[in-house]
Amino acid sequence: MDPIPSLSVNLLQRRSLLGLGALSALSLAVPGVWAQAVPGALGNGRLVVVFLRGAYDGLSAFVPYADKDYYALRPNIAIAAPDGTAQTAIKLDKTFALHPALAPLLPLWQQGVLGFVPAAGLPAPNRSHFDAQYQMEIARGGKTSGAPGWLNTTAGLGKAAAPGAVALGVGEANPAILAGQAAVVRLIPRGQSAERTGVLANDKTRQALMDLYAGDDKLSEAFRQGAGSRMQSAQELMEQKTARTEKMAQDTRRMADRNLDRDGTPANLQALNAQMLAASNGAADPVGLQLDAQHLGTLMRNDRKLRIGFLSAGGWDTHANQGAATGQLANNLGNLARGIAQLRQDFSEPGDVVVVMSEFGRTSAENGTRGTDHGFGNAMWLMGNRVAGGRWHGAWTGLGQLNEGRDLPAHHDYRSVLAQVLRGAFALGDSQLADVLPGAKWDKRLDGVFNKV
Amino acid sequence: MPTVKTLAGVLAALLAGPAAQAEGSTAADTAPPTANLAAAWRAASRLGYGPTPAWPPATGASPRAWALQQLDAAYAASKRPPALPAEVAGINAPLGDIARSFQAEREARRTARETPKPGLAAASNAGAGGEKFSREMAQGAAAWRLMSCSDPALENPLLARMTEFWFNHLNVFVGKGPVRPFVGHYEINVIRANALGRFEDLLLTSARHPAMLFYLDQAQSNSRGLNENYARELMELHTLGVNSGYTQKDVRELARILTGWTVNLKDGEGFRFAERLHDKDSKVLLGRTFGNASMAEGEEAIRYLARRPETARRVSTRLASFFVADKPPPALVARLAAVFTDTQGDLRAVMRSLIESPEFWAKDNQLFKTPLDFACSALAAAGGVKERRDIGQTLGFLAQAGQPMHGWQTPDGYKTDAATWLAPEALTRRADYAMALAPRMAEPSYLNAFFSVATRERIAQEPAQMRTGLMLASPDFMRK
Repeated sequence: MDPIPSLSVNLLQRRSLLGLGALSALSLAVPGVWAQAVPGALGNGRLVVVFLRGAYDGLSAFVPYADKDYYALRPNIAIAAPDGTAQTAIKLDKTFALHPALAPLLPLWQQGVLGFVPAAGLPAPNRSHFDAQYQMEIARGGKTSGAPGWLNTTAGLGKAAAPGAVALGVGEANPAILAGQAAVVRLIPRGQSAERTGVLANDKTRQALMDLYAGDDKLSEAFRQGAGSRMQSAQELMEQKTARTEKMAQDTRRMADRNLDRDGTPANLQALNAQMLAASNGAADPVGLQLDAQHLGTLMRNDRKLRIGFLSAGGWDTHANQGAATGQLANNLGNLARGIAQLRQDFSEPGDVVVVMSEFGRTSAENGTRGTDHGFGNAMWLMGNRVAGGRWHGAWTGLGQLNEGRDLPAHHDYRSVLAQVLRGAFALGDSQLADVLPGAKWDKRLDGVFNKV
Repeated sequence: MPTVKTLAGVLAALLAGPAAQAEGSTAADTAPPTANLAAAWRAASRLGYGPTPAWPPATGASPRAWALQQLDAAYAASKRPPALPAEVAGINAPLGDIARSFQAEREARRTARETPKPGLAAASNAGAGGEKFSREMAQGAAAWRLMSCSDPALENPLLARMTEFWFNHLNVFVGKGPVRPFVGHYEINVIRANALGRFEDLLLTSARHPAMLFYLDQAQSNSRGLNENYARELMELHTLGVNSGYTQKDVRELARILTGWTVNLKDGEGFRFAERLHDKDSKVLLGRTFGNASMAEGEEAIRYLARRPETARRVSTRLASFFVADKPPPALVARLAAVFTDTQGDLRAVMRSLIESPEFWAKDNQLFKTPLDFACSALAAAGGVKERRDIGQTLGFLAQAGQPMHGWQTPDGYKTDAATWLAPEALTRRADYAMALAPRMAEPSYLNAFFSVATRERIAQEPAQMRTGLMLASPDFMRK
């Protein structure tokens, strides 16, 4: 079995590839196709999946503040009910409130582009991280080894119309959700190293490597493709970073000019710095999930054949000292909020959808170490122009009746949520849905998650 | 003209001029020089981490004979303590000492957490500052692994390989707090010591080590609060394999059998059987009744699982995948499983059968190097770990590549097939690593003999400072 499918590499892009003359000999050019959104099985839609690995505590993200059981079950780690002050939950509606660390996302809720399904999960409880994640990534139960990831299968539906990579994963070397033979996938690493070209930047080195990998075996093809896409990624991401820095410098100069004009004296440096920070909303260079989201957004904006993006974040397995309005989990939620807000900036076209999911939820009651253990049902987030946001969807029966006396039940199979998303974003038909999510059933109770076009 | 029947002879002939043709048909013994070189590359790269400046060994043996000698030498080495350099010797301190330092560290952190700090939640105080001991132990274990995989003077290469394989099979995750300080001790005393011994001894030693007891939460499991994590993985991953006929009820029964198996950090033993925590009622596991209500019950269950035919099959499949081909030939797996069963799990005998198998030497059974293979073989070509930078750069490369040292989070261990690791952009990062390492090492000219003519000729066109990096980044160096 070939480790990678045969490739046709389209290296022609909107921007000129500076310094990549040596690569032109190996581009199998398909001029002009890139410019419009690619028609075909995936339509104009784009899907971004954010997987929170480690089972994030959904009950802390979307707080069921009106449920007395919530406070009884979590005497030490419950988020205080909304009362308009800091360090309390932020009211969303009469059932749920938002964790204060997720405050950056409140405008998205109010604009109606962010919604969630509060109690979704696997068809049956599975409290093994490794097992549950794998099941969710291949979208089937049992222990089928070698099954393709459902994002790979989905990407494959668009392959016929768009040779080349259709899916882009940022941060993980080989995520199961993207594994498979149906489609070409690009994978770039986490963080700033994605912005670096490495030794390929040196002409002589690059030429020598390309010569070494000039053969027509799979390994050589893969190396050449990797070199091309990596240089491209790095260039695009560096350009975007430079543009951002340039803009900050411009804003600073403009402010300096205004200072001079106004009172004729040179601007005070400290004041300048303060204003510069203000112009960038006080944000330092993005790091972590936000940087990865930015990279994803840039690359998918520049290459419209990329319809599917994947990101992940870890550190959610809060068995001890979870914290409440502040603490371990709150810090993580803050990072997540910045990442999701970044995604909203780059994915706000009509066909764009972002899904946030996790392998299972956590126990409704706190444990003996001020944390929570592995649970079952959890909140899945949906974000997009066509998402019926500003509300939650599906069944919710509160915390009075728990699965096995300990967990939030999973009222909805996570695949039913994904089916709605795939139909909404890509207009997939029944047989295509059956390919991507084998054995999944349509759940009419979720029919409202997308606004009708 | 020296005979080309021996490995040294092959190289001498090659370097001297046009290689003489050899008679004979077995690639591993007597064959045209290129085939014998391919066999030598395969043996060195798979039963170790590749050729080193000390290659070829002066014994003049054929690759197969060399491999069998290595097996005996590895077995002997496994019975001796490892040659830990002074700077990492602490990872193999007596368990009692490790436990004491670990407890002290935990106490200090607990005290720091409970002291109120203005403006900060107590929960966020468990930071890097309070974990110096654990961090140093983890770093030491990682450094030792790189050293032992890249310098035959420090560790027998085949033993280093078997240590990697069995650590991955009985994986523990260095990122889990209580596991961290014990990883090095686990690797040396559980894995390395039993890597070529009997499988059930390896398994039992693993079951009784703090690293495993903590990793899969066995330490907390008791008759009032059963934790099934270890019992499940013991059957699913360590022995029988998934879909091999055990049920959820069997998982529960095994968990009940193992209640009382817990950590002992006080007396330096690492393990103790806590009578009080043990479920004394009888259990039925895979149709067999267990009920003598003591530690022997758990030992009996573990040996029972180790001796089942499904275990022989699973272990043989994993060995064949790791050493021979991503999709291992069924005949080979069956043969290895038969040896496993016939010898009651003698891992040295199984490896002998593997080394003697035609499948191991068959050209078509290709393997692509994992990031760990690549890094260790590059370090080996450099003559081993020479300075701190080698360790930092290598660990950084491995983490970014998705194979962090001792850092596989889940008990299934990392995969080793090309489908997992042969990713386009990732290949270019191997080139970065190769070029970063190159300036600090002598040019490994001895590798040229193994490369294709095309690779050799292309590299020869470059100046000296480029050649080393290109050799390590070449397609030839990506395969084992």
